[in-house]
Amino acid sequence: MVSALPVPAVIKSIRPLTTDTSLFMLHTEPGHPVASSFLPGQFLELSLPGVGAIPVSYCGYPSADGSIELCIRHVGHVTASLKVALPGDAVGVSGPFGRGFPLLSFAGQDLLLIAGGLGMAPLRSLLLELLKHSELFGRLILLYGARETGALLFLEELLEFKKRGAIELHLGVDHPDFCLVGPPDCRVALLPALLDRLDIDPGRSSAAICGPPVVYPQLVSSLRLQGMSDDRIHLSLERRMKCGVGRCGHCAVGTLLCCVDGPVFSNEDLAGIEGALT
Amino acid sequence: MAIHFIADHNLEALLERLRRYGELHAPVRGDDGVVRFSLLIPGIIPDLTALRTLLPPKKYLLHPRETILSYTSEAGYQLPVEISPPLIMFGLHPCDLAGINYLDRIFLGDEPDPLYAARRSATTLIGVACTPDELCSCQQILSPLKALSDLFLSNVEGGFAVASGSPRGDELLEGIKDILEEQEGDMPEDSRRFFGHAVSEQPRHELDVTLPEWQEYADKCLGCGACSICCPTCYCFDVLEFSGLDGRSAVRVRQWDNCLFKSHAQVAGGMSFRKDRAERFRYRYLHKYRSFGTLHGIPSCVGCGRCRVVCPTGIDLRPLAERLEEVHHG
Amino acid sequence: MRKLRVAIAGLTACSGCQLSLLNCEDELPGLLEQFEFHFFPMACSPALLEGDYDAALVEGCVSMPHEIALLQELRRRSKYLIVLGTCAACGGVAALRNSDERELLRRMVYGQNAVAAETFNPQPLQSVVPVDAVVTGCPPEKDELLRMLTGLVRGALPVSIDYPVCTECRMHENLCLLTERNVLCLGPLTLGGCGARCPSMSVPCEGCRGPVPEANLKETFEIYNQKGFERQTVLERLRRFCPEWKL
Repeated sequence: MVSALPVPAVIKSIRPLTTDTSLFMLHTEPGHPVASSFLPGQFLELSLPGVGAIPVSYCGYPSADGSIELCIRHVGHVTASLKVALPGDAVGVSGPFGRGFPLLSFAGQDLLLIAGGLGMAPLRSLLLELLKHSELFGRLILLYGARETGALLFLEELLEFKKRGAIELHLGVDHPDFCLVGPPDCRVALLPALLDRLDIDPGRSSAAICGPPVVYPQLVSSLRLQGMSDDRIHLSLERRMKCGVGRCGHCAVGTLLCCVDGPVFSNEDLAGIEGALT
Repeated sequence: MAIHFIADHNLEALLERLRRYGELHAPVRGDDGVVRFSLLIPGIIPDLTALRTLLPPKKYLLHPRETILSYTSEAGYQLPVEISPPLIMFGLHPCDLAGINYLDRIFLGDEPDPLYAARRSATTLIGVACTPDELCSCQQILSPLKALSDLFLSNVEGGFAVASGSPRGDELLEGIKDILEEQEGDMPEDSRRFFGHAVSEQPRHELDVTLPEWQEYADKCLGCGACSICCPTCYCFDVLEFSGLDGRSAVRVRQWDNCLFKSHAQVAGGMSFRKDRAERFRYRYLHKYRSFGTLHGIPSCVGCGRCRVVCPTGIDLRPLAERLEEVHHG
Repeated sequence: MRKLRVAIAGLTACSGCQLSLLNCEDELPGLLEQFEFHFFPMACSPALLEGDYDAALVEGCVSMPHEIALLQELRRRSKYLIVLGTCAACGGVAALRNSDERELLRRMVYGQNAVAAETFNPQPLQSVVPVDAVVTGCPPEKDELLRMLTGLVRGALPVSIDYPVCTECRMHENLCLLTERNVLCLGPLTLGGCGARCPSMSVPCEGCRGPVPEANLKETFEIYNQKGFERQTVLERLRRFCPEWKL
């Protein structure tokens, strides 16, 4: 089990990505597992002294030099305070916690990544990892939806990957906005609609999904209709997690604990569990 | 068969002797009629007939509110330094012992919770047999939890039969041997018999969300939290952090929480994964009768009956458990 | 680090909430290291609103036109507007007779010929301006006040409590005054956070912190009824601090 005691970290830089979301670069002790040994989909606990601690998914690469990238949306008690944080501020980090995406089981497969909104953060970490070893995988397809084009995270980077031919990218937004020039190939469509237009070989594909809970049921049923089996559909769930080590009792999904048994679950794990996909 | 016997008139002598080993706490009936585990002052007789204290012994191991980390800008986050003086808990009934066994499984795992572990290792458990009443349900569901104690006292004619359950218990027996009598006789039936049973590992059905009971419970519930506060195995805690006046220090505290509160499943931004109380009741039921994570399959309900006693509207989960769980009728 | 600029104002109320801040004698020197209490008429004069504030803490309900103006002014100048105490949050004692006709009340208090100040039915702050956080209580607990302030230094608003007085009362292992002593205790309907201050002294909860979210009025009134308390008696008790209780 990973120690829950936060180790010191410093905010190195803060880059606003959208109006309510920023990319934080932290630095901690080089070689500490909280920065160096996580799987995409796992999370850390970020402590803001005097305010509290929150679970945050990793959104970058594991690094030996102690740097950690986190994508923060300023919506809660701790993240609202992070809005006034400055480079140089001290924070604490502990982890990695939970189970990430089962990378080994992805070998030889086409990968379909489906991200909604802030769900892009953990899937970016997955995407970077997959790209690092792209020879091991087949097609890398990313469906990414957000409220509006201005809310699409990491857009430049994603378009660059697409330009290089590294990924197939399908973007969608809920509402057309005032951007005169939207990103190429961005449609006004919800994720399920993007998915329905896609041609995949369900027999040799796995899906990794992270987004607002409201889209999960439709995405899952659409994938199953296309013939994808439940053990190949992987979903990252959000729940209230106060401790990260299975003790505070808040994050159970059925009788599974999101912080220990998840946050990434296969749809097979979640079969029949009330409220797992709401 | 020989048993260690201690006569009723030697009870005070026993208590006096136990005080040598640590601070002695036992069920004491207050002027207000409430029975609480509290410091047993010489001259006060513990109430060994009361079936349940208002708060269970978990209050000694997990305080209702406690500092779990302290922060200074110089040293970062640090574990609190707490000295746990030896504590002798006298008069624990089997359900409370089983409750401690459940908490042990949660808090003394791969990486023990430092506060719990320190207090637990400083604690000596002395159990006392009891006869269940109509509110108890320790006989309803056989439990794999073990009602472990260092010493266990069973009522026999004129006193108690005393049995050791650990090396610590052996040491205590040695220390009180001058007030023990070796008597011929049989140990009375062990009231811990409901605990320590293997349970079937058959996966059970998911809970039927359409049962009318969920909404009935939800309609009756005041959301007061008494059921979990008074439960010997409810350990859910909330975590809060407060900044010090100097702006450079902070404390992180945990405090008892309840799965029926609105905030229990709320995430940043206000969305709740269990919006209505009926859903929260199923969560409570799952935790009490089936348990989460690695303890899945081990009911955390030890049948003490406290939740039924303290619920202002008399909510009782037993009839539902009778139908949904593997029930022992005996 | 820059000190936070704070304004503290009292509208229609007894000033007890502001006083409980001033009563934090041991902590005040420390607070002054981090806060500039720039506008605090009760504690320092002269008091003139000037520039912007990191936070405004406002006690009391709104019952006079100039209070609306002050409140709006504070709102305009402040990043956070924090409700201080039950009067500001729910109307409180001053709003006790809001169901009676205003003119009648005026004559009752000031007599037939008196010229009274222009007033209207006392209202909580939220009915006039948007607020950012509430620190309830009559008066607020010292700990909650200090935590709210130290939180502001970190850019954090207080975390709201959602459990009733009963929760902490049970944590204190108290006898239940309502179910076991048949005393009219408003604990089940009242927001916790006070450490069950009154019931711990065998005094029933008077509801001074206002309503708890998701209060189960139907079942609680069922208990009151079983204990022989008239519905009207309970309602009057509840409305002493929060006239908004409806059934």
